[in-house]
Amino acid sequence: MKIIKELYEYREMIFSLVRKDLRGRYKGSVLGFFWTFLNPFLQLMVFTLVFSIIMPQDIDQYYLFLFVALVPWMFFASSVQDGSTSILRETNMVKKIFFPREVLPIATVTSGFVNMLLVFLVIFVTLIFSGRGIKLSTIVYLPIVMIVQYILCLGIALIVASVTVYFRDLQYILGILVMALQYMTPVMYDMSRVQDAAEKMGWPQMVTLYNLNPMTPIITIYRNILYYQTVPHINTLIEALVIGIVFIVIGELLFKKLQKGFAEQF
Amino acid sequence: MDKDNAIEVRNISKSFKVYYDKGNELKEKMLFWKRNKYEKRVVLDDISFSVKKGEAVGLVGKNGCGKSTTLKLLTKIIYPDKGTIEMSGRVSSLLELGAGFHPDMSGRENIYTNASIFGLTKKEIDARLNDIIEFSELGTFIDNPVRTYSSGMYMRLAFSVAINVDADILLIDEILAVGDANFQAKCFNKLREIKAQGTTIVIVSHALEQIEEICERSIWVRDGHIQQIGEPKEIHKAYLTAMEEERREQAANERKQLLEAEEEQAKRLAWEKRHGSWEVKIGDVKLVDKNGVESSKIYTGESMTLEIPYVVNTPINDIEVKLDFYRIDSLLVYRTSSVLSGVGRLNFDKDNKLSITFDNVPFVTSEYYVNIALETKDGDEVDVYKEAVKFIVESAKGEGGVASMNNSWK
Repeated sequence: MKIIKELYEYREMIFSLVRKDLRGRYKGSVLGFFWTFLNPFLQLMVFTLVFSIIMPQDIDQYYLFLFVALVPWMFFASSVQDGSTSILRETNMVKKIFFPREVLPIATVTSGFVNMLLVFLVIFVTLIFSGRGIKLSTIVYLPIVMIVQYILCLGIALIVASVTVYFRDLQYILGILVMALQYMTPVMYDMSRVQDAAEKMGWPQMVTLYNLNPMTPIITIYRNILYYQTVPHINTLIEALVIGIVFIVIGELLFKKLQKGFAEQF
Repeated sequence: MDKDNAIEVRNISKSFKVYYDKGNELKEKMLFWKRNKYEKRVVLDDISFSVKKGEAVGLVGKNGCGKSTTLKLLTKIIYPDKGTIEMSGRVSSLLELGAGFHPDMSGRENIYTNASIFGLTKKEIDARLNDIIEFSELGTFIDNPVRTYSSGMYMRLAFSVAINVDADILLIDEILAVGDANFQAKCFNKLREIKAQGTTIVIVSHALEQIEEICERSIWVRDGHIQQIGEPKEIHKAYLTAMEEERREQAANERKQLLEAEEEQAKRLAWEKRHGSWEVKIGDVKLVDKNGVESSKIYTGESMTLEIPYVVNTPINDIEVKLDFYRIDSLLVYRTSSVLSGVGRLNFDKDNKLSITFDNVPFVTSEYYVNIALETKDGDEVDVYKEAVKFIVESAKGEGGVASMNNSWK
């Protein structure tokens, strides 16, 4: 609990690191910060083009189906990958200055989070223009699932950030792992597909295996809220929250133990 | 913890692993697993001290003695292997200036970034902003990107931020050397001001006068131990004396090593000149001219005789006597031996002398010397005698070159 007080004292450092990251991301480009919106918008255009003309899917408005899951997924992927190098990238500071080391993964994850929030503006605009609209009774769950995902991402970032300092290969391993995990998470397809496949193969445990993936409930909820516009199952929400809390507790315990040796590893 | 104390350090030890040759990769680890050995180097060994609230303390000692490590431990950048450190109040450390500066952002924006790293909130930074800008003497440059700053401006800004962080405990590592003399004086005055406000200060520095001026006590760290704690002037005197002594010792050591090396060299040269297993030892070699008189000067075309007396310590057979004639500039002009001249290997059973006559010495004017070696069949050296005899050859006709040749003209 001491760490929360300490982190609160260092909140300005987190804010300024996030600010620096967001502003620095497109620094030097002509369009600058506008890229934050332009990038996902162009991506969406590509999806629309590919999935309505070249590879038509039997899911209605597949580009939206995909996009509402892909954006949270990209936040997860960047949290894991950028999170793993968050300490390594600031060796100079870690070697020379005291501050709660948690600040670095927190800033990285928060910066990804803020980026996702901005992209959600594009999603909202698309939802309105696509004719689906936004339903108030479901959209209220969006902040909740976002916070739950933030907790999970931070937990994982704390783990990978501290371990990568000692085992640098982890950052590259994670690159592959995250890519593989994307296909094993219902991002590009629905959970119902998995259930069908499990039945066809006669291997019902496959669904359980899918549910062990911490991102499965979260992505499912996002899609429920934004695409199907239904109220998410409260059980799924609680499951996601519990997983998130488990990760953040393990993450902080591990980080606290490993951070003592950080400065001697560079 | 005593409530009058700001810092209490109890029995801390710290050692680092020093790898002889660290390889991180699996390939290196497998191929050179032996190289991954490391040495545990003890940097601090059982150090204890305490600092009272509002007191300023200097840490002195030569490079690598552990004073910076102590400061890093106080800052909680690294952690001790053993012992405890207790501190009361907000700690600010000036170990690194300009941490987190972003070159593309303006000086003003960087003040926020940098100060936030010291744990200041936005409100606290807002309150200090004017003081910081004024102290840095940057004026209107404050809104320019930091990359356009000179290194002096950069450091001034960084120092201004660091020094304006109101802390209860301030840790400083060798950074009072920022900017020109004026700015340094200003920094120093600011430090005094901070101290007057009751801030506890720990300084690591080689600038002993600065410590004497501001600190009540000095801690002399030597090889990971605390050598002495006390009044700065006294401690520094003892420290400087010890340093001087060390330097003198080192100089003496170096001199000794140099002498030893010279001696070694001389020995080696002497061995090269004369060595062997001494079953037979050559005595004073003489050169005799055509008249049978000992001489050191021969004329080209005349004959000469080498007389080589020897003492037999242990009778030995089958010895080849080798003779090398060198010109004074180390040019080998003639090589022969008992075997080459058809006499064969010689037996040495009692003291005697060898006489070798050379007819018609073909050398022209120069100085020469002869190396003599006695060798067994196996090549073991019984006696190697370099420059056993020296002589001069003079060509009466004034010929030049290396050797004289008979020539007839038509």
